[in-house]
This record gives sequence, structure tokens and C-alpha cells, in this order.
Amino acid sequence: MKNLHEVWNKRFVHYINELQKYLKFIVSGHLAIVITFVLGAAGYSYSEWLITAPADFPVFLLVAFIISLLLAISPPVTLMKNADGVYFLPLETKLNMYIKPALRWTYMTSILPAIAAFVVSIPMLTKIGGVSGQEIFVVIILVCVMKSWSIEVEFNYRWAASGKTIWMDRFVRFLLLFTTLYFVFNGNYFVAIAIVCISFVYFFVWKKKKEEVPFPFDHFIEVEQSRMMRFYRFANYFTDVPHIRGMTKRRKMLDVFYKLVPYASKNAQLYLVMRTFIRTNDYFYLWVRLTALAVVGAIFIPFPMVSMVFTGALAFASVVQLKHALLSGHEFRMDLLFPIETNARKLAVHKLLRMIQFGQALFVLVGVLIQGEYTLLMIAVPIVTLVISELTLRLGKK
Amino acid sequence: MTVLEVNDITGGYTRKPVLHDLTFSIGKGELVGLIGLNGAGKSTTIKHIIGTMNAAKGTILLNGKTMKEDPAQYRTAFSYIPETPVLYDELTLKEHLELTAMAYNLDASVFEARMGALLKEFRMEKRLNWFPTHFSKGMRQKVMIMCAFLVNPSLYIIDEPFVGLDPLGIQSLLDQMKARKDEGASVLMSTHILSTAEKFCDRILLLHNGKIRAQGTMSDLRAVFNMPDATLDDLYIEMTKEQQDEKFA
Repeated sequence: MKNLHEVWNKRFVHYINELQKYLKFIVSGHLAIVITFVLGAAGYSYSEWLITAPADFPVFLLVAFIISLLLAISPPVTLMKNADGVYFLPLETKLNMYIKPALRWTYMTSILPAIAAFVVSIPMLTKIGGVSGQEIFVVIILVCVMKSWSIEVEFNYRWAASGKTIWMDRFVRFLLLFTTLYFVFNGNYFVAIAIVCISFVYFFVWKKKKEEVPFPFDHFIEVEQSRMMRFYRFANYFTDVPHIRGMTKRRKMLDVFYKLVPYASKNAQLYLVMRTFIRTNDYFYLWVRLTALAVVGAIFIPFPMVSMVFTGALAFASVVQLKHALLSGHEFRMDLLFPIETNARKLAVHKLLRMIQFGQALFVLVGVLIQGEYTLLMIAVPIVTLVISELTLRLGKK
Repeated sequence: MTVLEVNDITGGYTRKPVLHDLTFSIGKGELVGLIGLNGAGKSTTIKHIIGTMNAAKGTILLNGKTMKEDPAQYRTAFSYIPETPVLYDELTLKEHLELTAMAYNLDASVFEARMGALLKEFRMEKRLNWFPTHFSKGMRQKVMIMCAFLVNPSLYIIDEPFVGLDPLGIQSLLDQMKARKDEGASVLMSTHILSTAEKFCDRILLLHNGKIRAQGTMSDLRAVFNMPDATLDDLYIEMTKEQQDEKFA
């Protein structure tokens, strides 16, 4: 076997490629655009609030709380795989060669949110808390050191206790971080130094305990797998991720819609397609997301023409994506053998899409009504949803 | 009366055919076993009959009609149980049955009556609202079997039906097959459980390298291989030896 450092390097390249593959969809996806707008709006409100913020606002408590929370949660990124439990076992004594770069990468990625949150809070700290530039600089250094400490402790704890009751450890670390930061902000440096000493003792306790037990491969592999799964789930909001495709849920509340399809031979495909749409997470949440965006647009866009383009584009996206999803697939399905018309599936998908796009138009109408601009052009916005949906259905290739 | 006629079929996945001039037929009320080594062409034969693969040459008639002539009638005439259960993750057991009943134009009351009997026979009454993700391999297979038997077609095409079924499930399946046979339905069953095939099949088709090596009743096969007291296992092993001899020749 090659040396473990090389194994890490190889995996790291593969991991970065995998991230890039999905990040390009995330960055260009519709949710990303919304998040940008939300962040912009939040930033604007924050700067407005700073102008009128009360002088007695507990800024130290708030900043110490948020930063400590971001510092305390420090799960390691190990890129470990299932087979490592077998193949790494003889190399346990050399495992450090693999773990070191892993923890370094963990540090580089997880320090960013903490620093970002701190940078955002600087205007608040200087304006309300009266913190000086020099103190800000010291705290930034402190935050960087604290993150390193937190990652090391969390890793050692997970190793020593196989990750059991990790929240207890996180709570202890949170308390230590929170009190240190709070006392630093308040200028009680002696108390802060005393807490830092306790933190070092806590670090050495778990470092020593770690040396008494073998490396818990199963735990670290599980942590890594659930971390990747979370990423894939997130990426799945923007594109098709094969790893988690086809997850289904009952959604009993929507059973009422099945009554729209009575028991009859000609309805067999619609019976199937409607359930496929409602119960397959990918399809259902795709429509819910696009509809929710259309409603938000209908409520907040004051110009009817812009609103029409926005909701129309979302109607187009809904129909194109769902039509493709419900009509594609090359796997054998039993309904391919049913003694029904060969184009029954296509007709059923069209019927379903007409039904759900009518629903989308109704939601958009509600959005328009909430906005309260009852002009003729504004009322035409939901009609545009219907027209674009129908045109997309008719002009589509499949 | 002939239910299924396979005439001179040549076909396969690529240009290189798997089946060569395959010809056989199944009469009304007959249970025919399709036996052969891995790769002999059993599943390919079945795929041609159910219409998911098209033959390069030859015709397949079901109740006297080809798929091209009348697709709806052709498809109504058979039901298929695949080797690996193919279920919809988004449908419950009951919905699988209901969908099948709708597609095959069963009257609602007939559906209810047949569903009740099948659920009881396969001990699945309590699983009606379960989704396939919660089913074991055997239960998934039972869903496929129940869907097939719900339809009451003239021909059942069953690929490796016993894999994953518990002994009670196997018995229920055999009972159902016998009952349907007595009512006049025909069965084409591909299996490797040779003792069961020998015991229950009226005729056996021995498939070898995409051709029928021998077909008929057990005594017909014994005569072909010139092994008077042989079991189907013995004949099968003999066929394997032939393949090895061909290899070394």
C-alpha cells in the first residue's frame, strides 16, 4: 500500500472534483439567486438597524454566543470510506499521516464561517460595544486559535468515546469558548486567561484518553458518509444527484387528490403518474420550490410586466423539468406491458401537468391578491402562468 | 388448442443473435418448463415473448395474434412475473394491485373479490398499505405474483419464481399455478429448481446455446439423451457435459 499521505492526496483531488461538479449547479441554480437577494436584503436591514440600534443592546453576549456556536461545532472531514475499516487496520499506527492533512483541511474550511460571522459583527462591536481596532485584531487571532483547539478536541473526543454523546463535549466547549470571548470583550483578561487554562486541561484529558483506545473506524466512516449525504441532499435541490434519487414519502394529507382519478382502465397511467409525482421527493419538491418562488415574485414584484416574465419563466421551468422527469427513464417498468394505448403515459403526464400548473396559477393568483394591486395587468399574471405552461406542453419535443 | 406459438425466432441484444431459429409451442392448460444453463437464452426468449425485445426473424403468436396485429389483445393475454421483482417505490401493495386491475380493465367488484382471495393465499392481508421499501425479497416477489394472478390471463410467463420465497410461499404459488391450469390457463416457467420442474411441468424445453436441445415430457427427454432412468438433474448435468466437450473439442 502506498503511504497514507498519498492516499489522502488522491482522495482529496477526487473530493474537490465531486464538489466542483455539483457546486456549478448550486451557484447557477434558482435557489442561489434567491439566497443572494435574501442576503442583500438582510445586509441592507442590518446597516439600517445599526443607525438606530439602542446603546444598551447586549452586543457582547450576542457575538460571543454566535461565534462560540460556530467554533464549537467542528466535525472532522476525513474522506474515509467503508473499506477503510478493513484496509487501514494494519496501518493504524501510521494513521497520523492521513489524519493530519484531513484535520488541516477541516480547519481551512470550517474557520471561514466563524471569521465571516465575526467580520459581519465588527460594525456592531465597534459602534455599540466601543471595541477598538486593536482589540478586534486580537480577537480575530483568538478565534483562529480557538477553532484549531476546538477541532482537535472534537476529533480526540470522537476517537476516545466513538462519538457517543458528542453534544455533551460540544456543550462544554461552547461554554469555555463563550465565556472566554465574553470576558475578552469585557476586558476581564485574567478571567479569560484562567478559562483558557481550563480549556488546555480539557484538551489534554481527551488527548490522553484517545491514546488508550483503538481508532473507531466505524464511527468516523459514518460521520463522513452522513456529511456527504447532507451535501448530496443539498445539491439535489439544484440538480439530479444519482446517489439519492427516487426517495419517496407517503404525504397522506394529499390523498384527497387521488379522488380526481376514478377507477377506470383509461385512467391507469394517470393513477400511477399522480402518485409518482406526489410521493417522489425530487419531483414534488421541485414543483413546490418553483411555485413558492412564483408566489414570492407575485407578492413582491410591483411591476406587472416583470412579474409576468418572472412567473412565466418559473411555469416554463416547472413544465419542462417535470415533463422530462416523468417521461424519461430507460429502466423496465411493469406498466410497459399494460394492455393500454402506447402513448397513455405521455397523455397522463400532460394531464397531470395541466392539473398541477392550474394549481400553480391559483397560488400565483393568491400572491397577486396579497400584493393588493388590483390592476388588469396584475390580474393577468396567473393567466400567463397557465398560457406558458400550456405552450410549453404543446411545443415540447417529447 | 395452441396458446403460444414461437416460430423460427432468431434474436438477441446485439447483431450477434442469442436465439437461433427457436421454435416451440404451448397448448391450452399446459405447464411448460424452460430449462437451461446460465446464458442459454431463457430470459431472452421470455423478453421476446413479452415484447420488450424484437426478433430479427420469426413470429410469435399469442392466441393466434402477433403483438403488431393487436397490441392490446396480445398484452391482455399474458401476465409476467420477472426474476427480480420490479415494483414502484411510490405505490403501496394495494395500489400495485389496483393499478394492475385498472390497466387490465377488471371490474371493480371482481378486483375486490380476487384481491381478497390472493392476499389471504399469500398471507399479505396485513401489508396492504405498506410500501415496497419495507418488504423483504420474498414479499416483493409475492406482490409480483399477486399482480400476475389478479389478471387471470390465458398465459402466465414466470421467470425463476421460487427465488426468495419461503416454503409456504412456494406452496401457495404451486397451488395457484395448478388451480389456474385446471381452469385452462397455460404456464411458461423458467427455473433452476429442477426437482420442482420435473414434478409439476407437463413438458420441458431444454434450451442450449439459444437452441432447443430437446423438448417433451420427461420420458421424451430420457429417450433423447438415452438415459432411461434419469432425473431432470441427470439430464441437465449431461447437457452441461456436452457443453464442456464442445469447449475442449
